[in-house]
Amino acid sequence: MGQLNLNRVQKFYGTFEVLKGIELEVKNGEFVVFVGPSGCGKSTLLRMIAGLDETSSGDILIEGKRVNDLPPVKRGIAMVFQSYALYPHMTVFENIAFPLRVEKMPEEKLKAKVEHAARILHLDQRLQQKPGMLSGGQRQRVAIGRAIVREPKIFLFDEPLSNLDAALRADMRIELAKLHRQLQATMIYVTHDQVEAMTMADRIVVLNAGEIAQTGAPLELYHKPANIFVAGFIGNPKMNFLPVTCKGVSDAGVEVDYKGQTAVVPVGPHDGLVGRTLTLGVRPEHILLGAGDLSLTVTPTVIERLGAHTVAYAALNGEGENYCAMLPGTVAIRPEEQVLTGIRAADCHLFDEAGMALERRVELTDIDMGLLDPAAA
Amino acid sequence: MINRYRWYELVAIYAGILVFLGFILAPFVEGFLVSLKPLGLLFSSPYKFWPENGSFAAYVTMWESVPGFARYIFNSFFISTIVTAIVLILVIPAAYAFARFNFRGSGALLGAFLAVNMFSGAVLLIPLFRLMRSFGVLNTYLAMIMPGVAFLIPSAIWLLRTYMMRIPRELDEAAFVDGASHFYTLRRVILPIAMPGITVVAITTFIGAYAQQFIYALTFNSKTEYMPLPVGLFAYFGRQEVIWNELMAASFVGIAPAVVVIFLLQRYLVSGLTAGAVKQ
Repeated sequence: MGQLNLNRVQKFYGTFEVLKGIELEVKNGEFVVFVGPSGCGKSTLLRMIAGLDETSSGDILIEGKRVNDLPPVKRGIAMVFQSYALYPHMTVFENIAFPLRVEKMPEEKLKAKVEHAARILHLDQRLQQKPGMLSGGQRQRVAIGRAIVREPKIFLFDEPLSNLDAALRADMRIELAKLHRQLQATMIYVTHDQVEAMTMADRIVVLNAGEIAQTGAPLELYHKPANIFVAGFIGNPKMNFLPVTCKGVSDAGVEVDYKGQTAVVPVGPHDGLVGRTLTLGVRPEHILLGAGDLSLTVTPTVIERLGAHTVAYAALNGEGENYCAMLPGTVAIRPEEQVLTGIRAADCHLFDEAGMALERRVELTDIDMGLLDPAAA
Repeated sequence: MINRYRWYELVAIYAGILVFLGFILAPFVEGFLVSLKPLGLLFSSPYKFWPENGSFAAYVTMWESVPGFARYIFNSFFISTIVTAIVLILVIPAAYAFARFNFRGSGALLGAFLAVNMFSGAVLLIPLFRLMRSFGVLNTYLAMIMPGVAFLIPSAIWLLRTYMMRIPRELDEAAFVDGASHFYTLRRVILPIAMPGITVVAITTFIGAYAQQFIYALTFNSKTEYMPLPVGLFAYFGRQEVIWNELMAASFVGIAPAVVVIFLLQRYLVSGLTAGAVKQ
């Protein structure tokens, strides 16, 4: 039994099913990130855990106790809102103290707690100011402070960084990760930004159209996406997809044909693949210059030089889909000049007609398995 | 968009403003000038707009001609203040409920409030009179306060509800997550933020109560000592003649307390109080 369990949690708006039977277990001290495109139901799920939205069916358990009908404060959660939701007429001190005032905590104890929280968040110098005088990052820290003083079992974050500019967001990301280690608390974090998800999460829950598409450690999702959706959603730039035909299945993997070229992709096959059209996925960062197991000659239309990398975009002949390659920063290519790119079969992902991944037999020797298992960290 | 007017357009605009302002303000100016003139001069022919040997004598003698006048001012002020207080006490929670909760019939109720506003109090005078009589509150302050409150509540609810709907809902949710009850949230979070809106409601209610008490006082009250200002002004209508200069002086003195109150209240009309609450 985890600290938070969701058992077939459903949510309907009228007859529209927003969440389709979510099953999830969150362990004590885990940092779980819900990620997905807009409208996938991730914020709704968080609000249901918080007790702000009602659960249509299924059970939400916190520490083994069913909390569906409890108000937020009795669930032992604290929430940080995207818009900060600070009380503009109160000082920073009073904002952070608000939950304790509601509890009618004695003044001395309250003061000590607020000051402790302020120290953690570097707000000691700001306690007597009003939120209107603070910068975006400081306001967000006040909102987090208000959550910390309650000492909740579970912290809920609803896209807390999406209102900050890029530089501040990176700083706050690091601070949040530090905070998580410092407090050893369970945190559930909703975002649409996969960088936030990849960098902070112990475990990522990818949601798509009200269902969990995949749950796993960040690198697990990156290296072994369970389906086309996760493969396309995790990773930036997006994974390239090529239509291929299955020629045969062997112990070594699945032999595929792409426009006359064949390659054996090391994945675990299932029955009835031969002759079917499959989707081959390859990440832009795995595309090499020069020939590979599969070779494509393309004409880049746009080249973005980022310094560390060069990203080249090309339209594949006849197929509208962009073909994207991430190459070394100083690579000698030019727009509108043909270039030969190669793909190693071992880097490829293969998806069947239903969009489900054939399990990769990747040698994860270059990946520290400790990183994949949050329990070992 | 930059609007550049030609000189004759500017002249026309200002001339227009002048005409309308003059139209609205002329009675006040004339009233004030009348209050400065000796009574005999008022009916001189040809009529002189500007007072010759004008004085503030009427402002002194008015207290002597109608000894109860101070009491009328107090009554007006008292009735309006009580009406405003009662309206605010009732309307603030009501507006919060209408702004935040989805309950069955909230739309119909709001519509009904608007419909009530379409009747003026005068239409309902006779039923109201019978009601007051059966409650036995005729000839009391209550008879003037109760209908005043009833007819001012609808517009106050509409006004304040609109204001409260602009306060971000996340503030309520944050307070709810932190364990605050609805009333605690209303008192500690919404009320302070809604202060400018509440001030507007207080001012309009006060003015409304000041203006409409006349008709209730005339019908539901016959005791001189409870009469408010508008009825009290009738005392300057003598059997033979109307003491116009004192009447005008009394009018100006009578509205002075209301002006002072409104002047004090408008200090709270601070905009931008929600700055920093949420990122917009």
